[in-house]
Amino acid sequence: MSALIEYAPLLGQGAMVTIALALLSLVLATVLGALGAAAKIGGHWTADWTARGYTTVVRGVPDLVLIMLIYFGGQRLINTAATALGFDGGIEISKFAAGVFAIGFIYGAYLTETFRGAWAAVPKGQGEAAQALGLGRLARIRLVMIPQLVRFAISGYSNVWMVLVKSTAVVSVIGLADLVGLADKAGKSTRQQFWFYLAVLLVYLLITIVSERVLERVRARVNRGIPA
Amino acid sequence: MKRVLAAALAVLATPALAADLDICVEGAYPPFSETTASGEVVGFDVDIANALCATMGKSCTLVQSEWDGIIPALIENKCDAIIASMSITEDRKKVIDFSEKYYQTPAKFIAAKDAGLEDTPAGLAGKVVGVQRGTTHQQFMEGEFADVELRLYGTQDEAYLDLQSGRIDAIVADSVAMSQGFLATEAGEGYAFFGKDYSIPKYHGEGAGIGVRQSDTELRDAFTKAIEAIRADGSYDAIARKYFDFDIYGAGT
Repeated sequence: MSALIEYAPLLGQGAMVTIALALLSLVLATVLGALGAAAKIGGHWTADWTARGYTTVVRGVPDLVLIMLIYFGGQRLINTAATALGFDGGIEISKFAAGVFAIGFIYGAYLTETFRGAWAAVPKGQGEAAQALGLGRLARIRLVMIPQLVRFAISGYSNVWMVLVKSTAVVSVIGLADLVGLADKAGKSTRQQFWFYLAVLLVYLLITIVSERVLERVRARVNRGIPA
Repeated sequence: MKRVLAAALAVLATPALAADLDICVEGAYPPFSETTASGEVVGFDVDIANALCATMGKSCTLVQSEWDGIIPALIENKCDAIIASMSITEDRKKVIDFSEKYYQTPAKFIAAKDAGLEDTPAGLAGKVVGVQRGTTHQQFMEGEFADVELRLYGTQDEAYLDLQSGRIDAIVADSVAMSQGFLATEAGEGYAFFGKDYSIPKYHGEGAGIGVRQSDTELRDAFTKAIEAIRADGSYDAIARKYFDFDIYGAGT
């Protein structure tokens, strides 16, 4: 127990890395998800097939494999390219950037499906009515489709966020000093793994409980004016 | 939030540090390598790394790595050498190269302090020795003490429990593992090492070496020379004494 108190500041830093990683990954995943959904719904057939390939491959490959592939494989690609272009030493992919990219890339595929499903859930008549009122294509999407789409997407989006937070644990495998990575090392160093893993469990639980509260408010906000 | 983002950006933008050598270390294998409360890696491996760098006249930066990703990190130039208690094995030699060993924890026997056993086939006749199944120690016993009765265990902890309950008379295993995992604990009071240090390459491998990329033969030889140098000038022994009360380097050179 006393070791846990001694290592508390270090674990705090790790928790900050985990939270920053999760939030930045969510931003990237949301952007990729929106692009992917747009490509699947209204894109040219090449965009549609690219998005399909993306969701099929990413959702079918374990997170761990993708993270290793991006961090080490991506580095090899850069090294090879740099050597071919005559640079020496190359550019280093930071562990944090690799983590954000990997997690964002993975969960973007899940969000593509979430957004596409939400788009399909908005009644067809809504878009047609907006068109009849003379709204342009962009105004139709922004004013009529998106506000309703968000309402349908929010449950799936919350779910993806919960899973995303926990899957940040996987990036400790590339040596990123996140909560899990640091707790694992501290636990082994002090031979008190049990206490450290228990602390990690509580931190993750805290993050998800707080998220649930926040998302509940968001859900109430996007559903305002709609009878339950 | 702003601070978190700023920190995150700082991490994103960190350029590769301009050191002569980047050394991958691990940080979860005490006393060789452990992480302190301030997040630093310390231990025997780290002290050896610093001593070797000083001898080679290079400035070194330690790169904290996860064990599972440490060989890929070396191969993809994230560091130039691995100093992380990595045993030299044939499988690893297929992908990376090793310096000569910088330590080899010997295998030893333990028994009750007052047991008065000897580590000869005659001294152990009629006794029961416990080993962990499928380890180098089982092969060692079957090769060198073929007539001694063996009891095989799934884990090292089960062997300790049976030693305490008197079902077996002795255990043979890695000396550091037993010293840290049993003798230094409350349960290990009343037990001690006996007999010689065993590190026979046929059974126990070649010890822990410094991993380098296969193309870096010069660096590999430089490390081997530096190991010889710190062995010769006494700095190796000074470091070893901080952590161990026996000869960690093991037999031979």
